[in-house]
Order: sequence, then C-alpha cells, then structure tokens
Amino acid sequence: MTATTPTAERRLGSPEVKRWIQRHGWTVGIWLLLVVLVIWYTTLIPKFGGFQTSTIITGGTSWIFLGVAQAVVVIAGGLDLGVGGMLVLTSVAAAQFMDGQSLGVILILAVLITIAAAVVNGLVGWIITVSKVPDIVVTLGSLFIYQGLALMVLPKVGGGTSGSFRWMFTGSENGIGSNPWPAIVVITIPVVIIAWWMGRTRSGLSLYAVGSDKTAAFLSGVRDAKTKIVAFAVAGAFSALAGFSSVSISGVGNPTTDGGTLTLNSVAAIVLGGVALTGGVGSVLAVVPAAMILFFFNPILSALGVDPNRAQVIQGILIVLVMMVAGVLEWRRSRRS
Amino acid sequence: MTETRTTPPSDSITDVAPEAPSIAKRLASRPQLVLVAVLVVLIVVTGIIEPNYLSVAGLRNSLVWAIPIGILAAGQTLLMLTGGIDLSIAMIATASAYVTANQSPKGTAFAIAVGLLVGLLAGSLNGLGVGVFRVNPLIMTLAMAAILLGLFTGWATTIFAGSTRMNDFMRTVGGGNFFGGRVPWAAVVWLGVALLVLYLLRRTGFGRNLYALGDNPIASRLSGIRAWQVLVAAYALSGVLGSIAGLLIGGRIGSVDLQLVGFLLLPSVAAAVIGGTSIFGGIGTYSGTILGALILGVLQSLLTFLGAGQGVQQVLYGSIVIGLSWMYTRLASAQ
Repeated sequence: MTATTPTAERRLGSPEVKRWIQRHGWTVGIWLLLVVLVIWYTTLIPKFGGFQTSTIITGGTSWIFLGVAQAVVVIAGGLDLGVGGMLVLTSVAAAQFMDGQSLGVILILAVLITIAAAVVNGLVGWIITVSKVPDIVVTLGSLFIYQGLALMVLPKVGGGTSGSFRWMFTGSENGIGSNPWPAIVVITIPVVIIAWWMGRTRSGLSLYAVGSDKTAAFLSGVRDAKTKIVAFAVAGAFSALAGFSSVSISGVGNPTTDGGTLTLNSVAAIVLGGVALTGGVGSVLAVVPAAMILFFFNPILSALGVDPNRAQVIQGILIVLVMMVAGVLEWRRSRRS
Repeated sequence: MTETRTTPPSDSITDVAPEAPSIAKRLASRPQLVLVAVLVVLIVVTGIIEPNYLSVAGLRNSLVWAIPIGILAAGQTLLMLTGGIDLSIAMIATASAYVTANQSPKGTAFAIAVGLLVGLLAGSLNGLGVGVFRVNPLIMTLAMAAILLGLFTGWATTIFAGSTRMNDFMRTVGGGNFFGGRVPWAAVVWLGVALLVLYLLRRTGFGRNLYALGDNPIASRLSGIRAWQVLVAAYALSGVLGSIAGLLIGGRIGSVDLQLVGFLLLPSVAAAVIGGTSIFGGIGTYSGTILGALILGVLQSLLTFLGAGQGVQQVLYGSIVIGLSWMYTRLASAQ
C-alpha cells in the first residue's frame, strides 16, 4: 500500500523526501484519518471530555492488540485465524483464575497466562513449519481448539478480576471511567517495544525478510522456521494482552464470544493499516490507528443516532468494503508487476 | 499447488504399480478405503461402549446427525475445490430457517421458497465479493456471517417479529421417519443433494471448472474459464445448500432461534477435510465428504455416550482438522 506510482515519485522533490513518503506515507495518512474522525466526532456529541476519550481508547485497546498480533504474523508471510480464539481463551482463563485474588497474585497470573499463550501459539507456528500444512488450515483448527478450551476452562459467563487490575486497562475499578491514561500507557509500552524490535533488531527484521521472500531469506542465512515460530509466539502474547483488556472492560469472562469475528476485525485492521496480506510489507505503528478507526465506527454511528444493532451491521459492511478496496488494489498491483 | 497434486476428479484411481508399493503409497491411492475402515471401527467401538447403540434407533441417531453436516459440507466441498471456504454457511442456514418459520403462516410453499431465496441471495453476494472484488473467501464469508447475525438480531424484533414455529411440512421432512419409523425423511433429501452434487462434480463442465480453478487459476483463465461466473455460481449453490440444511434442522427442532445451526459450522469444515478435500483447491470428492459426515455422526453418538461437553467436542474437531490435514499432506508428498 505504501508503494506510490513511479510518475508520482518523480514529481516529489529530493530522493530522501521521496523515500520517506514511500516508507511512512500510509502510516501518516492513517493517523491523520483518525485525527479527522476524532474532530468530526467531537462536533457530533454535546460534550467531549475525559469520559468519551477514555471510553474510545479503552474499547479500542483489544482491537489494537489483536491487530498487532495479526500484523506480526502476516508481515512474516503467514496468517493466524486463531488470534480471536486466543483472546477468548485468555480472557476466560484470566476471569477464572484471577477471581478474588490479591493484585500480586493476579499480576503473576497475567505473566503466566501471557507466557502460556505465547508458547501454545508458538507451538501452532511449529506445527505449520513442520507439517507444511497451510497456515489457514492449521490456524482454523487452532481457532476451534481455543474456543473449545475456553468452554472447558469456564463453562458459562462468569469469573472476574480485581478492581486494580481493571484500572490498569480501563482507568477505573469498575471498567468505566474518565481517566484514559492507564489505557494509553498499557497500549504504548508493548507497541513501542514491538515496533522497535521489528524495525531495529536482527530477529525482528528477519520477519520482513521471510515474509517478502522466503527463499532469498533462507539463502542469506535467515532461518525461516524459527522466524515463523517466533512470530506466532508474539501473536499469542499480544492476543493475551487483548484478552486481559476485554476482561477488564466487562469484568467477567464470556466463553461463548465468537472468536472468528474478532479475528476478522484483526485482519481488517491490518489491511487498513497497510500491511500486505502477501507478507513482508507494513508497520505495526500504522495498525494502531487503523484498529482504532475500525472500533471508532461504532461510537460515531451511535452519535449519529443509529440503532446499536444496525450500527453493528454497518460496521461489518464497512469492514467488508475496506477488504474489497484492498482486494482490488492488491489485484491491480499484482497485475502491474 | 505442485503438478504432482493434480488428481482426476473421479474416484476410480487405478494405481497398480509393478513392484510392491509402500503402505503409505497404497493408502494414499485408496483414501476412501481408510475412511470406510475408520467408520466401521468407530461404530464397533461405540457399540462396545454402549451395546444399545447397535440397533436401528442407535444408528439412525448418528445418521440424523450426519445429514445436516453432510449437506453443509457439500457446500464446503464445492468451495474448497476452488480454493475457497464458506464460514457463513451456518449463519445462512439459521437465517433461512428463521425466515421460513416466520413466513410459515403465509403458506408452506411460499415460506420454503423465501427461505431458499435467503441462501441464494447471501451466497451470491459472497460469490460477488470473492469472484469480482477478490476479497479473501475466509474474510468475505466471515463478514457475511457477522452481517447476517447483526441484521437478524435487529429484524427478529421488527420485520420478522412473531412466530418462530416451523411449519408442519418441514417438521415432517426434518424430523419425521418412514418405513415403520426406521428411515428419516431427511435422508431422502440428503440422497437427492448427494446425487446432484456427485453428478455436478463428475459429469458437468461446471464441476470440471471448479477443479480447474482450484488447481491452477492462471491456467484456467488462459483456457477461457470466466472465473467470476463459476465462483458466483458455486457460492450461490453453497448458500442454497446451507438453506436446505437450515430448513431440515429447523424442522427437526420445531422452532427457530438465531443460534440454530451455528454449532454445525466446524463439523461441516471438518467433514470435508476428513473426506480428503484440500482447502487449497483442486483436490477432493463429495463421496469422501459423505464418509466424513458419517464418521462425525458416529463420533457425535460416541461423545454423547461418553458425556463429553461442547468444549471437548470443539477441541476434538480442531484437532481432527489439523491432524488429518497433516496426514494428507504427508501422504501427498509420499505419492
């Protein structure tokens, strides 16, 4: 998506500017789109303050984490349909085991659940590399398995977590508050770490190498199997963060949440964020605003006075439209090259 | 997508090698024999665990499970041959059953026609998205499921408020038996669907186009196949098959709600995968899928006797999909 046509490039001044725009144009554009939407939103509702900001950012947290999880795998040339299921599984695991515990125990549990999610999803990546079965098939299977495990961990809606843990993700002990800062911090730290890892370190950059050309990466000494496993493990950990955010908002675990729909949202977020589904292209820093925008459709539509049920339908249709436009663009790009 | 994976669309593979081939090679050339063996072993094991199972009533229970799975999996098979999948088929089935039940007071034939129209419409939209706008099939159909659920959640209290009782005709077809209560009427519907799908895949140009598209989209385009027309037709057909399955289940249960068929989505994919249909297109048969559906029907009885919950079943279905795809990939490379 970041690729501009050769004629457009020639018209834009010096090569450095040209390269910068080519590299970061999509990221900047999508952030600008988010800003425009927020400004529009403030004119739609009578009062825009801490409460509204907090609601949007808190609600968008799990979308962002799940989008980043998907982005890491797709950039490495894969696709993980299981991330939505992992969100459901980790959120019910959190609700089941954290209920009634002290904050210290809860934080240890959170770390353990995150590590477990990374190991289990890394195992899925390992199965893909060893079996040579396509990602889509294996992760469709892991999506089923995670949803089933969620039902085994917590058979029906219930469980809970402590107020202070909910505060970390929502800025309030009961999930609804007017303090957006904890959520902002909780989003920023992991995203900045992952963006630094993918842009500056050897192991992070190998994701791009494997995603854009597996054979070339292998010939230049990148181990593609290891890279894929690492990508899936990171996706598992980020899905767990998304699960914690979702349990912090609702206060309970719900094993019947449809993980497939959540996965769909994550794929739409990365497509809007300029990550090519063919792998090797994109930045998690553009996925963050893209995920926010997709979540943001909902409050905007209700501010416009649309019935919540209908708002959900419109949100679904908008997501499909995003995918359609991306599909046509990708097809045209592949024809040109 | 290598040339070695091109399997002719017929089941009659005559692979008689002069020297004794390895066991893996023999099994790979006769995958359906393995499936029949698995089916028999499962029936025997279930019979050992619960001796009452080996009776007309017990086996019919498994068949009643297998019928809707088999019809839904027919849709999955058609689409998987093209390299696609339909994750909206269960929601299409639910929506069709809901509309038919709701419109039943206006006449049985009208209600059934409207119900089938829902599947045709939703399926065609899927086909347009995949075939014309080139949206990834998984994403298109997943989104279709989300949209249908949203629409019907709203419509359930507005334009489709009122009766959720299925009409008596569909209740008989979906839940009734004949031949002294031994054979479910739904089995006749499945037989009709099966003959139609087998005929389409083996004897018609449409069927050959499905295999061609899945096996090599570029070659099929160069040889003049209009991919988008084939895809729209395939997805529309899958939608109608979903409607038929939805009406049968609505008839069997008697009344409808928005969670009616959702639990059969995973089994429908699993049945096609068990039957040896490759999710990446070009390889598979409906006869394999029928065996897959029957295996899942028996498995369902076994799990019920063992008292396994829904969670265990989902984990099992997921493991089956991964495990068998792994096995089929190994067999394909052994060949």
